[in-house]
Formats: sequence, structure tokens, C-alpha cells
Amino acid sequence: MTLRSLPLLIWSLLLGSLALLVLGVCVGSTGFENLIGPLLQPQADPAATVMAHQIVFDIRLPRTLGAWAAGALLGLAGAVAQGLFRNPLADPYLLGSASGASLGVALVLAVLGGGAGMLGDSMMNGGAAVGVFSGSVLVRLGLTGAAFVGAVLAVLLTLALSRGVQHTLRLLLAGVVVGVVLGAATQMVLLFSPDSLQAMQAFMLGSTVFVGWTACLLMVGVWAVCVLAGCLLGRVLDGLSLGEATAHSLGLPLGSLRIALVAVLALATGTAVAQTGLIAFVGLAAPHLVRSVIKTTHGHLMLLASLMGGALLMAADTLARWLIAPQELPVGVLTAVLGGGYLLWLMRRNSRSFTGGQA
Amino acid sequence: MMLARRQSALGERRRQGRFRFWLRVLALMLVSLRAAHAFEVVDDRGVSVSFVQPPQRVVSLLPSLTETVCELGQCERLVGVDRYSDFPAAVQKLPKVGGGLDPNIEAIVALRPDVVLMAVSSRADERLRALGIKVVTLEPKTHADVQRVLLKVGQVLGVSDAARVWRVIDAGVSAAAQSVPASVRATRVYFEVNQGPYGASESSFIGETLTRLGVKNILSAKLGPFPKINPEFVVRANPDLIMVGERSASGLTQRPGWGSVRAVREQRLCVFASAQADALVRPGPRMAEGARLMAQCLINKAPRTAATGGKP
Amino acid sequence: MTSAAPFIAIEASNIRASIGKTEILHGISLSLPQGRWTSIVGPNGAGKSTLLKVIAGLLPHSGTVKLLGQDLHSLPNRTRARQLAWLGQNESSGDDLTVWDVALLGRLPHQAWLAGPSPQDLAAAETALKATQAWDWRHRSLGQLSGGERQRVLLARALAVQAQVLLMDEPLANLDPPHQADWLGVVRCLLETGVTVVSVLHEISMALHADEMVIMASGRITHQGACANPETHRALEAVFDHRLTIHPLAKQWVALPN
Repeated sequence: MTLRSLPLLIWSLLLGSLALLVLGVCVGSTGFENLIGPLLQPQADPAATVMAHQIVFDIRLPRTLGAWAAGALLGLAGAVAQGLFRNPLADPYLLGSASGASLGVALVLAVLGGGAGMLGDSMMNGGAAVGVFSGSVLVRLGLTGAAFVGAVLAVLLTLALSRGVQHTLRLLLAGVVVGVVLGAATQMVLLFSPDSLQAMQAFMLGSTVFVGWTACLLMVGVWAVCVLAGCLLGRVLDGLSLGEATAHSLGLPLGSLRIALVAVLALATGTAVAQTGLIAFVGLAAPHLVRSVIKTTHGHLMLLASLMGGALLMAADTLARWLIAPQELPVGVLTAVLGGGYLLWLMRRNSRSFTGGQA
Repeated sequence: MMLARRQSALGERRRQGRFRFWLRVLALMLVSLRAAHAFEVVDDRGVSVSFVQPPQRVVSLLPSLTETVCELGQCERLVGVDRYSDFPAAVQKLPKVGGGLDPNIEAIVALRPDVVLMAVSSRADERLRALGIKVVTLEPKTHADVQRVLLKVGQVLGVSDAARVWRVIDAGVSAAAQSVPASVRATRVYFEVNQGPYGASESSFIGETLTRLGVKNILSAKLGPFPKINPEFVVRANPDLIMVGERSASGLTQRPGWGSVRAVREQRLCVFASAQADALVRPGPRMAEGARLMAQCLINKAPRTAATGGKP
Repeated sequence: MTSAAPFIAIEASNIRASIGKTEILHGISLSLPQGRWTSIVGPNGAGKSTLLKVIAGLLPHSGTVKLLGQDLHSLPNRTRARQLAWLGQNESSGDDLTVWDVALLGRLPHQAWLAGPSPQDLAAAETALKATQAWDWRHRSLGQLSGGERQRVLLARALAVQAQVLLMDEPLANLDPPHQADWLGVVRCLLETGVTVVSVLHEISMALHADEMVIMASGRITHQGACANPETHRALEAVFDHRLTIHPLAKQWVALPN
């Protein structure tokens, strides 16, 4: 594919996301249901319009946009991880960042109370109750901060164990070790604080169920920062893909820039995990899906992987709400089916076209 | 010739004697066999367990079964319980032998129980039976189950007035139902079990209690007992009253869009403390207390004149 | 041919370098003249690639290296990158980048952080790709190319830097004889513009085309001299245990195994 496809791809992803947004807003607890009509014609039935307004703007819109933002963050983090480790199997959770974020959230819930302990007045008066799905800005920032700090610390621990990013195998092993150990630590925290158990279970499954405007806007804000940083740092990943020595010879300050990339990875992953829990596969699949369509530099790849991840998660979330309405499927199942299915199809198509290809 | 006839007559008498001897032995065996199997119980898996005499040392691996044993007045027969059994207070001092699904086999064996009562869904019964321990698997899930299991445990323990105990419980539930004023009967209730959100529908144990109290559940039985519901559904259904356990209550009122739900607007929210929630949720002998708690909530918080509500 | 250039492009003094716990280079000192082509040759394991990496500033070492008169490690990264281009061997190549993108990467030392490529950058990348006959496939991705084609693209990347000093480690890997001849032509052009070229080659006949030769064995320099000098030829034969002989052939020197 030539470079001319790049703007085409960006436009098609943006338009596709917009279409999915409209679809997502039309899907709710009664399955497919077009609420745009009542919104556009308020005079026809005022009661229905008020209901439609509330449902669309308070519930469905922030949730669908939140799904896009979380998918965008995970897609970006996946592209960074795959570039940083020069490994196509890398995903944002690789360096134990998911376990670190979970541990951070579990600790905050255990210390501040998963239900019994509340900040401020009782929930009847809308006090800032510390719950996983709370809407208060401070609580969201606190939980996001805890998840971010947890993710960063886990990543730093992994890097310390593997003594730098040079040896990919050692890095991956260290990441697995840190992931398992921190996961066990999270279980221990929950064992001693069973009130947080239910909240954490809902969190670990991953879903956009209670994403309100606060969470949604927070994710979009962080995404804007990360994608900007990522595009600037993209050339570092390009240089690295030619080998460490070559990148060094091109004058790239590898040490500090790699740390910056790890920070972007931790921030993006931590933010997404703090709002929607652990949703698998998006970070792994989105960069591959982009690369199957177009070959381009990392700067562009990060933006495209974001858009692709956002579209993927939005589609999965809409389907999760639609298929057995009013019940909901776990969104992680659908991301695996959608993303994995498309990747499988691509693999079959590519293997056939390369049977006579050059070495 | 006289000698031969006398010899054959002697042989004949000996044969008859031997025959009678073995007949007596057989009769004795049959009598002792009947005495050995004093009674048999068929558990929920269809396995029939036989007892010589009612067991004196009982291990229970399910909180509702623990409560059933104590409700029948046989608490002192319990020698070990699972880690989740916490009622009545007496059982908290008993040795804990792991969970229902992951029991500590060694600890159970060390207690030398005469019978282990456990849930159907656990796989540990084969292991315990292989070690020679009698296992009765019972798992109450509905109101009808509570009665059945109560009577069966009574049978196992040799308690004669189990039926009377059940009548007391049943009367308690009826009393709770009658205490709910008629004006409250049309209240539409949403019972949230877990942040997910998972609700309790009509076909769950909690749902049955609510039905008996005469109120309506916004989650119908065809969704399954504990469906993971789209929160938008609750907003649409616009329940008049929300019941939730303390553990999952935080942040409920701030959920996006929930500010417009009647129950939230009019602050008709019943939050049950963790200990109370157990009585509501466990299909066991405390169901009367659970019904009373719910009735109290309805009396206090339900609207006297229920609104027409939203689309169900 | 230019006259003898008096300036030293690279001066190394008493270089010791280790990989892990093993010391590879045992106190090497050498001066590489500016505007000339120097070949570093020697048997396997002599430390040629290690020496080249040290001179490029890519490996830690004791001793000093001076680039165009200045201490190499006191130079800011980008300044050094603009003055010295390095082409390594056996490095992982970004299979997903297009040929054009790879060539353009050579301009990184010249690009500002926030800016895109300037017209000079684009022109430099184009020139480099044309010089290695890779211009026609500039839109193909690296993963679709054969070994030799990939090597030409990587060479173009190194040429695009337009540095005054070019260090190349086994640049002829996977190249067939016509393209090896092309490479020779590229090097000659560079020399005419005053670029200093240093190469590590195991094709001795190719190495003998250079101006100067540095012969290494076991982490030390055994001989340094002009390629045309018979003493250099004898030293070369000696370092390979006399298993090859240098013969003149059609105005060139050729090394043939015995």
C-alpha cells in the first residue's frame, strides 16, 4: 500500500467511528432503538423527548464515547509496547502494568473503603462515596492516579529486574514475573478486605457500564496528551527498529526517550484500566490490524492504532449491549471475537498471497 | 442290612440337622442386616446414604446448612464448619475447614465426623466418600427447597419435630407479608446484588420473598435468577424502591442517568448491612427474618401510592 | 586521486574494550587519514567490528577517540551523528517501514524535533536511494525485499546522512558482484567529495581497492600501510597464516587461497 492510503485510512477510521457512535447511541437496554428521531423533533412527544434526552446524553453517549477513548488509549499503548520491545506479541499489559494498576485500585478501595467506608456524608445525600464506579471527579482522579502510579511502579520494577530493555527475553520474563507476583498481592489485599471484593470483581472483568462524563472526558484528555507525545517520540521507535547501534549512531538520546515512551505506556494503560477495568486484546490487535492495511512510520502508526482501537472497542461495546439486551455480555469476549476473527481472516488471506512471493 | 438302614437314617438326620443349622445362621444374618441399616436418606444428587443411628458429629460446608442444623436445635452436634458460616454466633468458635468448594480434606478427616453436609456444586464429596466419610449433598435454592432441606436434615439428625420448625418459619414469612400495608402492594422494586450491575429477578430466592410480600420486581423471571443488566434498563423501568447490600451501595445514586430514577429522587433506598444481607440472600431458615427486613423496608420507604412507573 | 591529505579524520589512542568480561581490544592506537578510504581486515575474531563500533562511539572503552580533532564523547549526540555515519551488520531491520521511510531516517540528525523533513532532507534521501539503485522500490516495505536489496536500502540510509565520515561494517553482505561493483563506484564518488570512508570487509580483493589498510589480529594491529605497498601484502598473507597469496591482475590486486 502506498503512502497515499494514509489519509484515506485516517478518514475511513474517523468516519467509521462516527457511524459506530451513532449506532452505539441507538442501542440500549431494549436492543436497537432509534432515539435520534424524538431528539430531533421535540414537539412531537415532549415526554418521550425528555426521556430520550436523558437516556442519550446521560447514559449512552458518555458510555459509547468512553468506550472509544478507552480503546484509543489501549491501541496507542499497544503500538508503543510493540515498538519499544520490537516484538509483535507485545501488548500494553506486558510489563505487569495491568497487575500494577489493579493493585493500586485494590489498595485505594481497601484503605478508603469499598462500601462501608465513605468520604463525606452518606450516599443518600450524594456524598463522595469511594466506589469503583463513582462519578465524583476527585474520586476518579484518585483512582486514576492510583492506577497510574501502580502501573508505573510495576513497569519500573520490571525494568529493574531485567536491567534495561536490551534483552527482550529477559524483559518479557521479568514482565511475566512481576505480573504474577502483583496479581497475587492484589488477591491478598482483597482477602483481608472482603468488602472491596465485589467492587474489584466487577472491575477485573472490564466493562464500560458506569462510564459517565467525568471518566469519559478524563480519558479523552489523557489520550490527547499521549497521542501527541507518542507522535513526537515515534521517530525514536523508527530508529530503534533498525537496531540499537544504528539508532545510537543517528544521535537519538535512547535512554531518556525510552523512559518517556515507558511513561506514555504507563499513563495510557493506567488511565484506561482505572476507568473500564481490564479489557484484553484491544492493545494487541489494534496495531496489527493497522499494519495489515498500511506500512508506515511509528508516529503515524500510533495515531492509527488509537483510532483503530477506539473503533474496535466501540463496536464490541455496542454489540455487548445489543446481543442479549437487556442483559450484557462481557466486552472482553467480544473484542477477542471481533479483533481475533479479523486477524485470522487476514492471516489466511496473506498466507495465500505469499505462497509465490519472494524470500 | 439293619446296620445299613440305621446308618442311612443317621445320615438323614444329620443332613436335616445341618440344614436347620444353616437356616438359623441365615435368619440371624438377615436380622442383623436389618438392624445394621437403621435408616436411609437420599440426597440431592440421588445418592442414598445409610445410617445405623443418627450422626452425632456433623461437619457442615454450606452456611445455609449450618443454619438449618442450628435451627433444628442440634447446634452442639456441629464439630466443624466452612469459613463462610457465621450464624449463629456459636458456630464462629468452631474449627473452620476451608470453603464449600475448596474444603480442607485433612482437617475434615481429623474431626472424625459421622456425616458431612455439603453443597451439590462441590466436587469434594467423592474424595471424602473414598476416605470412608458419609456425605449428604443438599443445596437449597428456592423457598420450596428450604422446607425440603429442613425436613431432610431433620431426618438425617433424627429430629422429630422438623415439620413444626418449618411451620414456624413459614408463619413468620406470612406474618411479614401481612404486615405490609395494602397501599404498598403495587410498589416496583429493584434489588441489586452486586456492582455489575447484577440484579435479583423474580426467579431468584430474593425474588420469591419479594413476590410473597406482594410487591413487583422490575426484573422478570425470564432473565434468569441473577442477570447482568444494562443500567439503562433500570432507568427506564424507574423502580419506586431500590434495595441493595451495603457492599455494593457506594456510588449507586451518582451513576449516570440514575438521578432521574424515582427511587433515587425520592430517596427510597434501603441499604442492608452485610450481616443483614446474609439473611436476605441465604436460602435458609432465616428467610423469615429476611422477609421481615424487607417488609420493614417497604413499610418505611415505599411510596404509599405507587406511581405508574416507566416502561417495565 | 587526491594528493596525500595531511589531516587526521579519526585518531584513536590506546583503546581497550571488553564485551562482557572478555577484553577484545588490547590497547589499539591508530590514525585514519581524512578524505581516504581505509580498510580494516583480519581473521575472524580479531576485533574488527568491535573496533569500528568503538570508533563510532557505540561501545564503552578506555582510551580516547578523536573525531576531526575533537574528543568524540564530548560532542553532543546530534553533532556527532551529523559528522559520522555508521552502517552495521546483522542488525534487525524494521520490516514494516517502507524503503523511503528507512532512507529518510538517515536525516534524523539533521531534523529538528518538531519539524517534518525539509526539502534538503527529501533531496538527500532521494539521491542516496538513486545511488544504490533502490529508488524504484521506494514504496515497498523492507520485509518484502531480498537480502541484497535490503542491504542496498540500508546503505542508502547511511549515505543519506551526508556525513563527513562513513564507517561501514560488512557492507557487501548479500550483494552480488554487479552490485559490489556499484558499491565501489559509490565509495569512489564519496572520496572525491572528501568523505572519509572506513570499512571492515572480509572480501580481501575488495578491501585491496582501498587507499590504506589496517591489519588486525587478536585485538591488536599488526600492520598499517598503503594498499599498493608490497609490505602490506606480505603482512596480509602472514596474518592469514599464508593460506592466501596476493596477485596482481589487470591493474588490481587479487587475493587467492592457496
